[in-house]
Amino acid sequence: MDFSKILTFVPYFLPAAWMTLKITTMGILIGLMIGFPIAFGRISRRRFLSLPSKGYIALIRGTPLLLQLFVVYYGLVRLVALDPLPSAALALGVHNGAYIAEIIRGAIQSINRGQMEAARSLGMTHMQAMRRIIIPQALLRALPPLGNQFIIALKDSSLASTVTVRELVLTSRQLASSNFMMMEMLAIAAVFYLILTGLLTLLVNHLEVRMSVSRA
Amino acid sequence: MSMIKIRNLYKSFGDLEVLKGLDLDVDEGEVVVIIGASGSGKSTLLRCINFLEESDSGEIWVEGKLVHHTGSDINAVRQEVGMVFQHFNLFPHMTVLENVIEGPVQVKKVPRKKAVSRARELLEKVGLSDKAKSYPASLSGGQKQRVAIARALAMEPNVMLFDEPTSALDPELVGEVLLVMEELAKEGMTMIVVTHEMWFAREAADRVIFMDEGVFLESGTPDKIFTEPEEERTKAFLSKILASPNT
Repeated sequence: MDFSKILTFVPYFLPAAWMTLKITTMGILIGLMIGFPIAFGRISRRRFLSLPSKGYIALIRGTPLLLQLFVVYYGLVRLVALDPLPSAALALGVHNGAYIAEIIRGAIQSINRGQMEAARSLGMTHMQAMRRIIIPQALLRALPPLGNQFIIALKDSSLASTVTVRELVLTSRQLASSNFMMMEMLAIAAVFYLILTGLLTLLVNHLEVRMSVSRA
Repeated sequence: MSMIKIRNLYKSFGDLEVLKGLDLDVDEGEVVVIIGASGSGKSTLLRCINFLEESDSGEIWVEGKLVHHTGSDINAVRQEVGMVFQHFNLFPHMTVLENVIEGPVQVKKVPRKKAVSRARELLEKVGLSDKAKSYPASLSGGQKQRVAIARALAMEPNVMLFDEPTSALDPELVGEVLLVMEELAKEGMTMIVVTHEMWFAREAADRVIFMDEGVFLESGTPDKIFTEPEEERTKAFLSKILASPNT
């Protein structure tokens, strides 16, 4: 196999990698926007908040992402016809929202009860104590599992290929169908994934160090 | 006027009745030390006074005002009543100075500059001026507890509650915390202290209360309680405490 010939296909993957990054970023952002309120709802003592949150988490975690993506892209068509990219971003966001909610919930509940008591004993309201004392500590604790979830989201964005989004996987398959170099094209996609997940890992590690620098 | 007045206070956890109709009056400037075996309800009583636990029935008056179980009432009372915990509960993500100004700035809306200068005074008072920029993780237990005292004092409370403030400390660090507390007592702070430190009780307490199974079994001056207790259970408890090597 001529290595330089394979390399000539690499430029075709650049817009695809950009697309993968776009779906992932949008998915994570939507996931965070869903995850935080669901996490607080899940913790709440008010049942009208906690029950829907628990239901959401059970429903989303209990069904495959691929099915959720098809529901958004094909299933909702009678309600609203979404383009492939928004469909993929939305499905990925809805999916990640449930996982992020559980990560945030776990982090908040892992903060020692004494922290809330100390804050309240100073006269802070529950909201103040959450905002000033609990959430900053919980976020730091949530960062490693969140980073992990973001990497999963990046790889899961490959499912968008099934609804014609031209991200890395679909691009490699389309190229292979015309040049018959399936293995080579998949390998290029794999290298791009490795670069992207590597960058994401570096970013999360960097954040972790920066946020915890005070603790040592 | 009593600084703290408690009438007929009851508290249960499930089937377990922890406080069985307590009455307590603490005068302004008075230092009350509560002793008793673990599980006797001492901590629960303190936590009820600060509304960290909701009592089942009974009345709590702070500075002549009956406190109701509503958010605004409770938040107001907590500004008047400082609390020091057994495990310090400092905010680990904030420096010592930030810990101390957090209450005044967030709750009382004191201008930051003013809060900082007051915090520095308080840190000097507890002997930790040089630790203002440190994070709690780098402090010893005794230093942490002194910061916690400064943090509570920063709210300018009229009453201070101490919930076993030295029980989590290594023996050699107990003294520095007790000294700060003794100083506070001498300055006329009203204090309710749950502790087994007999030295502190003798030096600083106006009154010692022996609590047993949710009731105040016996109370009096430190001298009376420690040298001639009337109740058998008080005697038994004291002989155990005084025999232990830690006190």
